[in-house]
Amino acid sequence: MIGRSGFAASTLAVALLAAAPTLAEAATVPVRIRIIKGSRQGPAAVDPRLADLRGQLGRLAYVKWDQVGEHHADMGLGKSVSLPLPDGATLELTLVDAQKDTVTFQVRVPARRTNSRLTISKDQRIVHQVTDEKNGEAYFATVRPWP
Amino acid sequence: MTACLRFAPMIGARPGELTLEEASALAEHLASCGACQGRLADEEALSGMLPEALLAEANRRDFSAFSDEVLTRIPALGRAARPAPRGGMLAPILGWVGHHRLLAAASALAPTLAALALIVYLGQGNAPEGAPVEVSSEGRSTMVLETSEGPVVLLGDLEPEGS
Repeated sequence: MIGRSGFAASTLAVALLAAAPTLAEAATVPVRIRIIKGSRQGPAAVDPRLADLRGQLGRLAYVKWDQVGEHHADMGLGKSVSLPLPDGATLELTLVDAQKDTVTFQVRVPARRTNSRLTISKDQRIVHQVTDEKNGEAYFATVRPWP
Repeated sequence: MTACLRFAPMIGARPGELTLEEASALAEHLASCGACQGRLADEEALSGMLPEALLAEANRRDFSAFSDEVLTRIPALGRAARPAPRGGMLAPILGWVGHHRLLAAASALAPTLAALALIVYLGQGNAPEGAPVEVSSEGRSTMVLETSEGPVVLLGDLEPEGS
């Protein structure tokens, strides 16, 4: 009987060890989502809260950047977060895949029939335009996992 | 005879050594001069024989010990070139290694480097992939800027209907 119990305990231990990485991968990913506005006109300025995005924002023709919204979420695999955009449309962000060092998001703006699937590493961010440019201004969403 | 004195040194000249005028004059002289025709025949026979004779002489020589003999004349390298104990099957290989140490080292490193490259390649399986990005947007163009800090996705203007 003792032998059977030992075998069962060993089997359980092995199963738990084998499942450990899966559980880790299945854990939620903390995600920071910001909605930012870029303007072509005005004095060049970047909202201090967007300092970590300077490298990416500096590649664009917009010179003035302001943060207009921020949202934090713990996202599980396949889970979506919907955020309202300043122009009334909705941003849908879905966590498609999460590996040890990478994470894949789906960014959708149904009103614009835009659908993106982007894989980034832990230390990267997504900057995604989510509205059309109007009067030299456009809105972007930035997504940063493990902020 | 005066003509022969002029043209005899030209017989056997290599291509390009004579000007067109000289070659033409030599050909004209050879056509009418039996003595120079004989000189030409001798020259052709000799030029054919000489390389063959040299080659045959070279083939008769055994050059297998040539590198050993040269190396033993150089004191520093002579020690490295000392012949391996006879009788072993590895003797020729060790002798070759002794004579070509750099090449032998490179040959030994090659599999090691290949193994390292394989390890690095397989190790990349867990590394982040090259930021795969798929963007689709109906009716408008999109542009993706790849930066070291992450992708930047830009939406283009709406394209006119029917374009």
